[in-house]
This record gives sequence, structure tokens and C-alpha cells, in this order.
Amino acid sequence: MNVARAIETGGRGRGRLGGVALAAYAALVFVFLYLPIVVIILFAFDDKPVPGLPIKGLTLNWFERAFSTPDLMDGLFTSICLALCSALLATAIAMPAAMALAWRDIKLRTLVVCLVLAPIVAPQIVIGLGLVLLFRFTPGLIGSPAIVIAHATLTACYATMILYSRLLGFPRSYLEAAMDLGASDARVFFEIVLPLAAPAVLAVLLLAFTDAFGEYVVAWFVAGFTKTLPIVIWGSMRGVLSPAINAVSAIIILVSLVLSAASQMWIIRQARSSAP
Amino acid sequence: MSIAKPAATGFAPSEPSPGPKAQAVIAQRERRLVILGLFPILLWQTIFFVIPMLILLVYSFWTMHDYRLDYNFTLANYVEIFTSPIYLKAFLLSLQIALFVTAICAVLAVPIAYFIAKKAGRKRAILLVMVIIPFWVSLVMRAFAWRLLLGERGFINRGLEFGGLIDHPLSFLLYSPTAIVIGLIYAYLPLYVLPLYASFDKVRDTWIAAAQDLNATPMRAFWEVTLPLAFPGLIVGAAFCFIFGLGEYIVPALLGGGKSLMISQVIRLEFELRQNWPGGAALSIVLMIMIVAILAVSLRWLRPEMAR
Repeated sequence: MNVARAIETGGRGRGRLGGVALAAYAALVFVFLYLPIVVIILFAFDDKPVPGLPIKGLTLNWFERAFSTPDLMDGLFTSICLALCSALLATAIAMPAAMALAWRDIKLRTLVVCLVLAPIVAPQIVIGLGLVLLFRFTPGLIGSPAIVIAHATLTACYATMILYSRLLGFPRSYLEAAMDLGASDARVFFEIVLPLAAPAVLAVLLLAFTDAFGEYVVAWFVAGFTKTLPIVIWGSMRGVLSPAINAVSAIIILVSLVLSAASQMWIIRQARSSAP
Repeated sequence: MSIAKPAATGFAPSEPSPGPKAQAVIAQRERRLVILGLFPILLWQTIFFVIPMLILLVYSFWTMHDYRLDYNFTLANYVEIFTSPIYLKAFLLSLQIALFVTAICAVLAVPIAYFIAKKAGRKRAILLVMVIIPFWVSLVMRAFAWRLLLGERGFINRGLEFGGLIDHPLSFLLYSPTAIVIGLIYAYLPLYVLPLYASFDKVRDTWIAAAQDLNATPMRAFWEVTLPLAFPGLIVGAAFCFIFGLGEYIVPALLGGGKSLMISQVIRLEFELRQNWPGGAALSIVLMIMIVAILAVSLRWLRPEMAR
């Protein structure tokens, strides 16, 4: 590796120039990725009723307006509750599957993995239509329960895969030691697996929560009269846009960024500490 | 995991080779754990994913008359899809946009993935996380942000006017296929960078150094050693980018302006406005068949990635 770097940077002007160009390009890509996010947060503080450039004055009025708009606050509360439920549910069904996939020999492994991952590749519009036709058999579930079920279905697949890849590096000798000492399966799980895998589980919970919180397409199909925040925001985008929407969006974007950054860092740090 | 013992033997000193009876008990316990572990998710995905897909398939052979389902088997929905210009145009537009977006994402993703994997040094973890995290922000809000950017009084038009590059705002930026393409690239670029990064990461630095020792320029080493070795990542990224672009709803609905519809928008219109569930189901099935075909083609490169 040092040799490679020495060759690359060893006085070759062209190589260094290429490196600078690459770094500059990377910076541009990051501008592209973060510009929309910055703009939405910036416009939330714009004091004009129709946000746009140039920004002359800054205000916190729109945040105040957002917090006193019942539709937005009800949607926010509904979304938080439902996303919490579906994240817990998704993690609860993903964890045992991840343990089985990581530690046991499984016949038909490919088939099992395909079935677990399938909802990832299906377009949300197709899943939504399929689910709403399924829930015609149980109309009582339409609304909050159906939204929780739909989001758990969407998030359980990658929750399983993230947990699975983390559990692969898990010190299995601990499990074997505990079982040798006569611990029951449940005890091994609660006293050894769960404490050691806690950061990964928490990371997956946060990701599933963030994803479920912002999901619109599938939720719309099965929502009935339930209004999650993305549904409220989508509805208001057809009419005259109130900057209060910007303010709410800005808050949610910031919270999502923090949650997903924290969970991704946890996942990566765990990967590093458990790497062979 | 063959050390797991039946509780009955308790603290007995470990025997070098358990008897056949003990082995049978161990095997049984193993099997029970595997079934217990996989049963919840397999049951869940069967009820809430496989069965809805089958329901769509069944519905696609029915028709809707005067807001009532007609349960007679017919291929009429499929015939309509392949003969009606509206549906064909929507499929064509979706394919074109997905293809275009995939190509641009590939071009954009290769240098950034290479940079993070090979040139970023200690900062690679944090840069990778920075690429991924916008992906977790609700797409509704990210697409909405592009409205603020691309509109006639938006960020980009104002910026160009201020810079004296244009006199009048560019009206084709928002509510057009251009806007859909920009929005989709924005939405799915992180998804392309991830597998590419993993592939570049697996290319050993010593291999690149070897090529350069043999007098290859850095450019030539990249084109003839690094990139071919990272080909699986390129394919996996392309497959996902194409599949997600093909069925995306939020971006075309918010940025497309409704003049030319992508297939996902037509599916929702069938359901929402025309109450034609069988028609929407048939469109969904055709879309799913296209996606499965793309996956089947890229499976050769996908399988080793999935096994990791």
C-alpha cells in the first residue's frame, strides 16, 4: 500500500493533478447531494410568504406557524407513533431471521434470502396496490394497522440483511461457552446476544424508523382516513404552498440526517471492531 | 455450532465425541432454532408480499364494469396494455428515463466511489456515510426541495440570471422529463455508489501498483485493471438504479408536471381516478415481469454480492 502511494505521488505531476481533480469532483458531488437539503432548510427561515431568492430577511415565524397548525402536528404525531410501531415490529421479525442466517446451516438458503429481500426490488406503487387489494378482505385493518404492517414489510428485508452482516462477525465462542454451561436459548439471547448486538439493533431500529416515517406511496394506498405527515404534506403541495411546510420539512430533514448518520456510524464502527 | 448440548447433560465434562443419541438431540435443537428464527419473517413476507402479488395476478385477469368486478377470466387488460398508445407511451417513457438515469448515475458514481475507496484514506468511512445519509431523508421532501431549486424563481434560474448567463428563466427545468431525470439521479446516486465502493474496495492496491510498475499510466491502470475488476459493482449498481428508476412514483409525480406520465403514475391513476383495479393490477404485473427479467440478467453478478 505504501509502495502504491509512493508510486502514485512520487513526483509524478500528472498523478497529483489527477488526484486534485478527483477530490474537486468529489466535492462537487457532495454539493449536489446536500444542496437541496440546505435550500429547504434555508427557505424555512425566509421571511417572504413565497420563498425564493434573494433572501432579504430571516424569521422564525414559519416554525411558529407550523407548530400551531393542527393538521401538521396531528400528522407529525401519527407518523411518529406508527413509525415507532413498525420499526419495532420489523426489527423483532428481522433479528431471529438474521441469527438463523448468520449462524446456522440452512437448506434452500438462496430461496430464503430471495424471499426475505423481494420487497426491496418491487416498486412501492405495486406493493401499495397489492396490499390495498389484500386489505379488502379485512377492511377493519385499513388505516393505522395497515400502515404499520406495510412499513414493517418494506423495512424488515434490509433490517434482516444489516443485522445478518453484523452477526457474521459475532464471537460465536461466547454462545458456545454459554450453552456449554447449560444456558437456555432464551437466556443466551437475552444475556449474551442482545447486549453485544445492541448497537446494531439500535442502528437498524433508527433506520427503519426514519424510513417508515417518511414513506408516502404505500402508506397512501392503505391509509384510509389516517393522515401521516408525508400524506398531509403531499396534500398541501397541490394547493398554495405555505412556508410552514418548509419549516416542518426542515425539522424532519435535520432529525432524519442525525438519526441516519448516527446509525450508519454505529454500523460502520461495529464492522470495524469485529473485522478479522 | 455443534457444541450445543441438551440441558439434561448439564455440567458434565465435555466429551470428545457425543454419542449418536446426543447428536440426534443436537440436530433436533438446531433444526428447531432455524425454524423458529426464520418462521416469523417468512410467514410475514408470504402474507404481506407474496399473497398481494398473487392477488394482483388474479385481479389482472378480471375486468371492471360500472364499478363492479367481473370475475370472468380474460386477457383483455393485457391486450389493452400492448395496444393502447397511452400505456405503451408510459412504459416507453419509464424505460427511457430509467436507462438515461442509470447511465448518468454510472458516470457520476465511478469517480466518487473510486475516490472514497482508494484516495480518501482515513476519511473514507465518514465520506461513505455522507453519501448514504441523504438517501434516508423522505423522498417526498427531497423531491420537493428540487421544486424550490428548479422553479422559474428557483435557486438555479436566479443563480444563472444573477451570473448573467440567461435573460429569462429557463422554464423547461421544472415540470418536464428533465426535472424527472435530475430528481431520479439525485434520489438514486447513493444507491449506485454503495456497491461500486464495495467493488473498488476489493481491488487490492498492490494489483494497481503492479500495473504501474509495469509502466502503465495511472489512467491505463484504472481502465485496464481497476475498473474491470470492479465490474460486478457496476452491474449491481446499474440493476438497482434501473429497477428503482423504472417504478418510481414520487419524483415524476412531484417534478414531472403531469404532461407525460411514467408507468407508476398511470397505475395510481387507474386505481384512484378510474377505479380500474384490474387494469392497474395488469400494469403492475407487466412492470414486475420487467423487473424480474432485469434481475435474472444481472443475477450472475448479483449472487456473490448477496452472499456477502
